[in-house]
Amino acid sequence: MNFLEDVKKYLVSFWQPVPAVIALGVLSVYYFGITGTYWAVTGEFTRWGGHALQLFGVDISEWGYFKIMHMDGNIFTRVDGVMIIGMFAGVMAAALWGNNVKWRIPASKIRIYQALIGGIIAGFGARLGMGCNLASLFTGIPQFSAHAWFFTFAMIVGVYLGVKVTQLPFFQSKVKLQKLSCGIDVQSDKSRDEGKVKRFFTFGTFIFLAMVLWAMYLIFIANSQKLGAAMLFGGAFGLIIAKAQICFTSAFRDLFTTGRSQMARAIVIGMVVSSIGVFSYILLGTPPKIMWAGPNAIIGGVLFGFGIVVAGACECGWMYRAAEGQTHFWIVGIGNVIGATLLAFVWDDISVPLATSWPKINLLESFGNYGGLFFNYLLLFLLFLLVLKLEKNYLKKLKGNTNYGK
Amino acid sequence: MENNTQIPTPTHRLDMHGEPCPYPAIKTLEALRSIGDDDILEIISDCPQSINNIPIDVRNHGFKVLHIDTSTPSVRYFVKR
Repeated sequence: MNFLEDVKKYLVSFWQPVPAVIALGVLSVYYFGITGTYWAVTGEFTRWGGHALQLFGVDISEWGYFKIMHMDGNIFTRVDGVMIIGMFAGVMAAALWGNNVKWRIPASKIRIYQALIGGIIAGFGARLGMGCNLASLFTGIPQFSAHAWFFTFAMIVGVYLGVKVTQLPFFQSKVKLQKLSCGIDVQSDKSRDEGKVKRFFTFGTFIFLAMVLWAMYLIFIANSQKLGAAMLFGGAFGLIIAKAQICFTSAFRDLFTTGRSQMARAIVIGMVVSSIGVFSYILLGTPPKIMWAGPNAIIGGVLFGFGIVVAGACECGWMYRAAEGQTHFWIVGIGNVIGATLLAFVWDDISVPLATSWPKINLLESFGNYGGLFFNYLLLFLLFLLVLKLEKNYLKKLKGNTNYGK
Repeated sequence: MENNTQIPTPTHRLDMHGEPCPYPAIKTLEALRSIGDDDILEIISDCPQSINNIPIDVRNHGFKVLHIDTSTPSVRYFVKR
């Protein structure tokens, strides 16, 4: 009984973010080795946009972007699709286990517009750059694709611009600091219903087990090993991002808002770990995913970085927040699909100058296997230094401020 | 985390319900600069992601985290200068 209580306690509490990001790095390597693709979410969101257009009778068979994205099958038959089903199961289980599910309404109308407009800009930018914080950063850089580096540095610029805008007085929180009178009962506003907490925990366990059984069915009965594995990986990705509250958006944003570098450092370390793993699979013959390293990656990166800061979450961050009942992030998710679909709509007009006429640069081909590996590590080291430098600059500026705390 | 300690009695409160990150963290730092040395600030945030920013930012900026209560969907932080 005590053992079960300990397990439960672990499922209820939040997990430490730094080991969690490193675990995500390791898992994404195995995901690549087993399924041959990288952990990514926005490609599938784009396909959902395509399916939505088909529902309304739009013929998308001639749209170039949907040809690149391969619209064949549906969410239940594509690796990316079942991975996302697993992710949703993971984030829902995590939220229910942790008693984090609550209907939450945005504090003001401004936030609703921010969520929608930011979501659209981020979705558009992500698909222009051929990936979000995953495929063009966290899982794209370890693929040795130069586009991911273009995207990442451009994204940091976009994030900086986004921070500048969201810190304008108009966007600032209007919440007032309340002064409390002495002896106020601090417990009075605590609304913890033990029965509800228990029911939520059971429901979370049910969702997680259902996901595992579904994956087992795919592997052992339906003979779709890859899909079953993708679902299990999705479940693990979802569980980890939700339990450790992994926010890729906060990583670079908060270097500029409060001078916190913890998440950015964790992400670089996660990529250091996964680069060598992906490298070994590539040497064994798995082809890496390389995308056009052109203006698309740079423009997409700036738009994406700007959009995620305005929206408050990136394309996988909104998923676990949506499962927690934060309606703000349902709007971000809808915005993402709209933005990705808009990109697909204009793609045939802009793809040649911005993307397809530019080379797909594989660092392992440009510099040789070990040269490319070394070069990727050199860039990761420089990114790490940049993160430390930005943190230091922030704190230095803060110290010059007379309002600085003790 | 500081979950098992006694819940302190706050003198000030920031009710950040409905505000997404990073606003809870930014407001917390602003509020901490405006209160007195003996005051205790309670921040209520229903953005669970604040668990990875408010405590770290508070310490990074030279302030103290007294207690964190994660037992309800709205996380409550008790901090002082």
